[in-house]
Amino acid sequence: MSILAYNGGAMVAMKGENCVSIAADRRFGIQAQTVATNFEKIFEMGPHLYVGLPGLATDTQTVMEKLRFRKNFAMLSHMLYEKRFGPFFVEPVVAGLEPKTYEPFICNMDLIGCINQPKDFVVGGTASAQLYGMCEALWEPNLGPDDLFETTSQALINAFDRDAISGWGATIYIIEKDKVTIKNLKTRMD
Amino acid sequence: MSLAELCGMEDTGAFKFSNNLNDDITNFCGNFSSHIQLGVPPFQNPATDLANLAKDDFGRDIKIKFDHGTTTLGFMYQGGVILAVDSRATGGQFIGSQTMKKIVEINDFLLGTLAGGAADCVYWDRVLAKQCRMYELRNRERISVAAASKLMSNMVYNYKGMGLSMGMMLAGYDKRGPQLYYIDSEGTRTPDSGYKWDLTDEEAYDLGRRSIYHATHRDAYSGGIVRVYHMKPTGWVHIDNNDCLDLHYKYQAEKEDVENKI
Amino acid sequence: MSVLCPDIPAPGFSFENCRRNVMLENKGLALPKATKTGTTIVGIIYKDGVILGADTRATEDTTVADKNCEKIHYLAPNMYCCGAGTAADTEMTTQMISSQLELHRLYTNRVVRVATANQMLKQFLFRYQGYIGAALVLGGVDSTAMAVFESRWKPDMEEAEGVQLVRDAIAAGIFNDLGSGSNVDVCIIRKGAVDYRRTYDEANKKGQKQNSYKYPKGTTAVLTTKVVDIEEVVVKRFESEEMDTA
Repeated sequence: MSILAYNGGAMVAMKGENCVSIAADRRFGIQAQTVATNFEKIFEMGPHLYVGLPGLATDTQTVMEKLRFRKNFAMLSHMLYEKRFGPFFVEPVVAGLEPKTYEPFICNMDLIGCINQPKDFVVGGTASAQLYGMCEALWEPNLGPDDLFETTSQALINAFDRDAISGWGATIYIIEKDKVTIKNLKTRMD
Repeated sequence: MSLAELCGMEDTGAFKFSNNLNDDITNFCGNFSSHIQLGVPPFQNPATDLANLAKDDFGRDIKIKFDHGTTTLGFMYQGGVILAVDSRATGGQFIGSQTMKKIVEINDFLLGTLAGGAADCVYWDRVLAKQCRMYELRNRERISVAAASKLMSNMVYNYKGMGLSMGMMLAGYDKRGPQLYYIDSEGTRTPDSGYKWDLTDEEAYDLGRRSIYHATHRDAYSGGIVRVYHMKPTGWVHIDNNDCLDLHYKYQAEKEDVENKI
Repeated sequence: MSVLCPDIPAPGFSFENCRRNVMLENKGLALPKATKTGTTIVGIIYKDGVILGADTRATEDTTVADKNCEKIHYLAPNMYCCGAGTAADTEMTTQMISSQLELHRLYTNRVVRVATANQMLKQFLFRYQGYIGAALVLGGVDSTAMAVFESRWKPDMEEAEGVQLVRDAIAAGIFNDLGSGSNVDVCIIRKGAVDYRRTYDEANKKGQKQNSYKYPKGTTAVLTTKVVDIEEVVVKRFESEEMDTA
């Protein structure tokens, strides 16, 4: 088993028309055992900027604290690369709107900070194979906030329903210029 | 005419392929002619050396992730035996099926549950069903649960240590009343005693349902549908199937109701 | 150390997680794999300069992690470099060398020579003894595409001819090597001018969807909703008044 699959977790972020979404499951587990179902993996880093840290839960929290302390988000990739030979086991997913222009922005990184910045969606966590499949099929350009919510939620829920170690509730953030909408989703709890 | 023949070369046995399917069946598929005879690789000590097949050239484990099932439950009470199971099959962390049938209806008075390797359980339950039917035809009476469970444990004992993975419960009703046995691939076989004797039928069903639901909630490798069966003097009855999704929100609402009253 | 005056972090790599990670590995937990660029990258010399080419696929184990990544990295105004291997290594190594080259240029007040960059990269990568998995092309040749060059490259080629050759070589990699894929990037470096053509050839277009999978509104069951309004941050600038000295 991989270290990234020790606690489990699934995450996805998508670009829409003048908005972005980021969503994650709420499980905190230790291998097969589900310990809590209210574990947040997405953190606010600014009014329009959110970062999700799927992976080993202890590192999720350490990296989040480091980012909070430094308040310097631009260096996340370099922070991870600094530990090239002893990495944190997180694969960050970033979603937000650019300052001033409010252009949608999404990216993800591998555990040593290699940035991937596509035009459509990024995924992370143990259900990523399923998420890639869902997103490739569901995503389309110029989704408005409401459609983006449905598309992202359905991609996530249906992906983690095929993964034993993620799920147990989901949180989704829809980020727009003037507001952020945070929803808890009703999902399977088994 | 082939070059080998022109040169007068005899076929060397090792490279000769037989086109006779029947030969292949007898040579490599023992269980086609006798169900309890699985094909075993031509090793000296299959039981101990078989494990080597699961390693690659560098000694690393080869990841063969066949489907597994997990949560099954059975208990006896005054009204007979209750069996309750989940329906999730996982291959590694991937959920292969959410609707698997983990209770096998061997005959009207015998039920088996599957846990462990799905293929192993399904196969051996099927073989057991055949054996039980044969017994019935030969002896003009139903097989006792004790005998059926003994047949099962003897069959799998032959393959002990060779990688079979199963832990099954056998529930039945025979001359001696309700019976519940546990058999696993290590050859263990134990009869079960009652848990709480004086339950009503409804209480017993609910106990089974709730136990399985709570297991699915905490255990990543259990889930899907909760199936409840009741073994009565008149044979088994399938009580109901409930999706864990509905059960969770139903139980949660009940819990909140109780809390609100306090 | 205090919040007001934090320690300046030590430069270079940090090894503070290593012991923990080795412990986890020894417990039988497999270490995750970093993103790789199982790559086709090429470079040729033609009449007036060099042409670099690369595919745009990055893989994580058997998954395509990035379908359109950038493998031709900037080093200096007159220099680009293709990277293959661990994606983060090629990215970070070229960034580091790039800033070193810029410092060198400012220090010497000359256009930095390719040989200098080559030497810097060599020394840097040798120092890490292969643990930094970067194979870089600064005008050299590599991989499946070699066959195409063996048959068609000749001295003193014209630019158009060279670009076509590079495209074909990368395409050979994209279609015949499973680790390479997606599009062709080409970078032409002439004397005094660089022509970076990102997505020079879109070798693999994604199939057009015939219909939409849009879900009707209300499909997803919601338990709670919270809306946080963001007030627009307006930065006002006040012109300073002159001090009244009257």
